[in-house]
Amino acid sequence: MTYDAKIDRLPIFALFDLKGPQEALSKWAKDTPAFPKGPNKLTHKASATLCHIGPRRWLLRDDLENEATWSASLNPEEAPADISIVRVSDTQTFFRITGPDASEVMSIGCTLDLHPAVFADDAVSYTEFFGCKALVLRCEHGFDCAVEQSFGNMIKDFLNRATA
Amino acid sequence: MQVDRLGGGGLIDRTKTLNFTFNGRPYRGFEGDTLASALLANGVRLTARSFKYHRPRGIVGSGVEEPSTLVELMGEDASGNRPVTTVPLREGLVAKSVNCWPSPEFDIGAVNQLFARFIPAGFYYKTFKWPNWHLYEPSIRKAAGLAGAPVEAPKSGHFENRYAHCDLLIAGAGPAGLMAALAAGRAGQRVMLIDEGMQAGGSLLNRNLTIEGKPAMDWVATTVCELDAMPNVTQLQNATVWGYREHNFVMVNERAPEHPSILERNWRVRAARVLCSTGAIERTLVFGNNDRPGVMLASAIQAYVNRYAVRPGKRAVIFTNNNSAYGVAADMAAAGIDIAAIIDSRETVPDAARAAVPKQEILSGHVVYSTHGGRLVKAVSVMPSNGGATRRIACDLLAVSGGWNPAVHLWSQSRGTLAYDEALSTFRPDTPVQNAISAGAANGDLTLADALRSGAEAGAGGGKTPEIPASDDLPYAVEPIWRVEQARGKAFLDMQNDVSVDDVHLALREGYDNVEHVKRYTTGGMGIDQGKVGNINIIGTVAIQKGLPLDEVGTTTFRAPYTPVSFGAIGGIREGSVSLPYRHTPITAWNLANGAFMYESGARWRRPGYFPRTGEGFQDAVNRECRAVRNDVGVYDGSPLGTFELKGRDVDKFLDHLYTNIMSTLKPGRARYGLMLSDDGLVADDGVALRLSKDRWIISTSTGHADAMNAHMEEILQTEFPDYNVFITTVTSQWNNVTICGPKAREVMEALGTAIDISPETLPFMAFADGHVAGIPARIVRVSFTGELSFEVNVAPRDLLALWEMTLEVGAPFGIAPIGSEANHVLRVEKGFLSLGHEVDGPIDPYDLGLGWAMSKKKADYFGKRSVALRRDGTTNRRELVGVIPEPDRMIPEGAPLTPGGERKATEGFVTACVYSTVHDRWVGLALLENGHSRHGETVHVRLNEGVIPARVTPPIHYDPEGERLRS
Amino acid sequence: MMNIPCPFCGPRNEAEFAFGGPVKPHRPDPNAVSEVEWTQYITTVPNPLGPVEERWWHVKGCGTWLTIWRDTRTHDIVEGPGDAG
Ligand SMILES: [Zn+2]
Repeated sequence: MTYDAKIDRLPIFALFDLKGPQEALSKWAKDTPAFPKGPNKLTHKASATLCHIGPRRWLLRDDLENEATWSASLNPEEAPADISIVRVSDTQTFFRITGPDASEVMSIGCTLDLHPAVFADDAVSYTEFFGCKALVLRCEHGFDCAVEQSFGNMIKDFLNRATA
Repeated sequence: MQVDRLGGGGLIDRTKTLNFTFNGRPYRGFEGDTLASALLANGVRLTARSFKYHRPRGIVGSGVEEPSTLVELMGEDASGNRPVTTVPLREGLVAKSVNCWPSPEFDIGAVNQLFARFIPAGFYYKTFKWPNWHLYEPSIRKAAGLAGAPVEAPKSGHFENRYAHCDLLIAGAGPAGLMAALAAGRAGQRVMLIDEGMQAGGSLLNRNLTIEGKPAMDWVATTVCELDAMPNVTQLQNATVWGYREHNFVMVNERAPEHPSILERNWRVRAARVLCSTGAIERTLVFGNNDRPGVMLASAIQAYVNRYAVRPGKRAVIFTNNNSAYGVAADMAAAGIDIAAIIDSRETVPDAARAAVPKQEILSGHVVYSTHGGRLVKAVSVMPSNGGATRRIACDLLAVSGGWNPAVHLWSQSRGTLAYDEALSTFRPDTPVQNAISAGAANGDLTLADALRSGAEAGAGGGKTPEIPASDDLPYAVEPIWRVEQARGKAFLDMQNDVSVDDVHLALREGYDNVEHVKRYTTGGMGIDQGKVGNINIIGTVAIQKGLPLDEVGTTTFRAPYTPVSFGAIGGIREGSVSLPYRHTPITAWNLANGAFMYESGARWRRPGYFPRTGEGFQDAVNRECRAVRNDVGVYDGSPLGTFELKGRDVDKFLDHLYTNIMSTLKPGRARYGLMLSDDGLVADDGVALRLSKDRWIISTSTGHADAMNAHMEEILQTEFPDYNVFITTVTSQWNNVTICGPKAREVMEALGTAIDISPETLPFMAFADGHVAGIPARIVRVSFTGELSFEVNVAPRDLLALWEMTLEVGAPFGIAPIGSEANHVLRVEKGFLSLGHEVDGPIDPYDLGLGWAMSKKKADYFGKRSVALRRDGTTNRRELVGVIPEPDRMIPEGAPLTPGGERKATEGFVTACVYSTVHDRWVGLALLENGHSRHGETVHVRLNEGVIPARVTPPIHYDPEGERLRS
Repeated sequence: MMNIPCPFCGPRNEAEFAFGGPVKPHRPDPNAVSEVEWTQYITTVPNPLGPVEERWWHVKGCGTWLTIWRDTRTHDIVEGPGDAG
């Protein structure tokens, strides 16, 4: 092992893509964590995380066991015309990179500045990881990094090589 | 025996003896040596042969400027063309000279010296130009003797790339760089201090100077220690800042990272500010036979004496035009080297310089005009600059110093301008363009005190400047001499590429008088050293010859890399399975376990091409898979299709603009095929749209165009129609599918079990329904890409493998077979279904493809409408989609041209696809043919190298033209 | 590798973006312009030696389509004529 870091490929999360004016969304999506205060920030409530990942765009993440509850509560089929709610749980493969060298492993694939002064505990962003679009956020002792599910095997290969 | 190792001193560890081999002979050196210092310590003076003339050469420099001796490292760390001065010595190192065979002492290529006058500048360009330079290049390179690339990847580790960010990146940890790091580090900035040497100190490693009354290296050690303790400072040694790109993006090659399994690391650093404290490089002097072994840069001799405790000669002559060589003379004398004379081209030598060597004989106003000897200098010839009596002085070492050039390479790469400084007679940094600064010798601050001060100020960046420690140094003064007029023998400007003064004169005579042209015509400065010691002399020679001041001649462009970087470091870990991005669906493991032949088939997806059974060849397998679909039932994984969910009040309006046909009239629960054009009338994509509810849709795109269509839709919505209420979510990887197709598909669906009514009455072609299939939440869509009854069962990827395995299990009694993309291709060609990569290119529009029906007449505007109308207006002879039946029955390669009568005439079309049709038991194809729609029944001709193949023109649908099967 | 300012994310590496080409004039109503005008709109792409207004898509980031003025000689991102003051 080159680096003192642990790499786990996580089981899928419950993920919901929320789009629309924040006011209309917060009126419809009642049980979510509070809407984050700024771009590329996140908030937590229990096991759920709400990430502000683009203009008029949020991503709600929770454990998979809560997916059905969220489906019922967010009710994408019945949501008003001017907002969009789509279940996207299967679209992302999450890797969890933890340990003393976690940021060094991240820096091999990620172009983003992840220094704690720049990318704090409440930061989240889509960026690049080994050439793929990837969602990056902090977790305890490291980072969670998600890529489009179909690239999961390749990113696993990359991480194996990087830490060999 | 290390015959020329001094008895004491130096920054080497004499307790650690290292064994190494050079050109097949064993030697010993010490930890801390470079290969160059160890060779000199062993008395090895002839180390190379030159590139073109195979003249004997020795070691000239002590660092990256080395123009003369390149070596090839063998074995584990195999690499070619390394300057001998940059190779750290290690136990067991095996190296050999390049450019000579079998050894520099006995070099067969040396006969080139006899023909030297026949190999002038531009010789290769003039001689090897017909028919093509590339024909000659390999053998010329071999004769030139540069080392080849290593044949296999190193086994001991891998290369790595890494991204980094900082407030201040400092290139060079000499006195200026260290002071800057202290200033910025103490202020809490994120600092990266990068140095190319094995240890920090820069010129202080090589010189005997004091700071605060103590050896300067004590101050370096204290400083490095303080920086080491700062968490906001990253220090890298043996690492070169080799490229400075736009927006302060900087490349750093770290050659020996601390992790043993990482061979080299390439950093890509975004720095808010970059400090170029890259030092200065001594330039050589240009006189006859200035390339003989034993002619060395004065500063290099100083480094060997002080840092490596090596005596590169016993009796030396020093030839200089500036003060710095006097400090060298003092160090040489202290090391016991007998100095026969100092030849100074200046009429008056400043007192400060004389004071460094009070008792030394100095011949001021003199020049060395030639050297003598064979494989080692034996004597030099000296004369007054203004003419007069010549004198021959015996010596085995000639130290030359032509003055100092700030190492402006990195600064120039940043696009900062240079100005010619008359006092220093060199180019130095002038105006920055990016957020770059320069300090120390790199800025022309050539004394230690100036370097410490300018480094501190640069690092502080307007903030608090740390206290500058007191130091002593000889004041610098120089009078330029670009070439010795009285030179006798070849006078080299660029030793590595064997470019002499005569070559530059020839280039100028032949009209290549721009300095960039001179460079390319003579190859001066184009070697691995990039002319670090000699380029300024080329500029000077051009200036003298043209009667221009140097700043009007200007410099050539400084480009990355500053020093060579291995390709491995640039590539990083991208090799093998990760050299290109690739994508998988959740059943990849199943596919591989079941013998699928996998390959990339658009948008980086790895898909099964076909599933050969034991003993089955390609065509047999594809035929079997096609028969399964046509006669019984087949199943494939259609997951890679681009899929998007659209939501909003204005999706109707938006889709009507996006597609050529009307989408807004579609009822919920129904699907419609649609065609999309770009606004210039090209076919952009085709696919199926599903209406889920009043304002929710799912649309699909072809696999290869998914990203482009996503970009297109987002761009329109964000820039053209920002007031539209439409949201797009990519769900390609939320909806995977198992597509069951064939006459028995409905029976398989029933066997899987679903509560959805899948009868043709309730769920007809182009309808869909949500529910469960085999207990899995699913959406069944009645579309067909094969022309057969087809059920696309869409499920979440987490359920795909389970559904797939169940489908094969319950389908077994019906003869179900998994089919790959090859069979899919055959089935779609039989049906005349469009494939964008095959049947569509620039000039083709929907009418040509027989899709005129999809071009709405009712809609006033949609993307591409006006342009298609405009393109068709007045054009005749359009190429139109037809079927072709080769007669006799045989395969026609894709892309084969059709010419009138098969004659050698302009083509009238080409074959877009040709497949073996199992339903017709023969080859059938599709083609784009001029006026093809009106030529059904005619015979056309495919013109191939091997002969002309007649083919009958048919409608493009070879199978079930009424579409009864897919509607069943 | 440029550092492109995204209005949502701030400055980001060029690798996160897809190039969208120089900004063309607003799409005219194809039924209200002449053939020549339409052809010009379709085929004429600004290509100056110097500052040009360009579209970039933050495809690996927040998804914003943004415009910058880039000097084609230097890659410097500069103020557009309309940005001053
Ligand atoms: Zn962004």
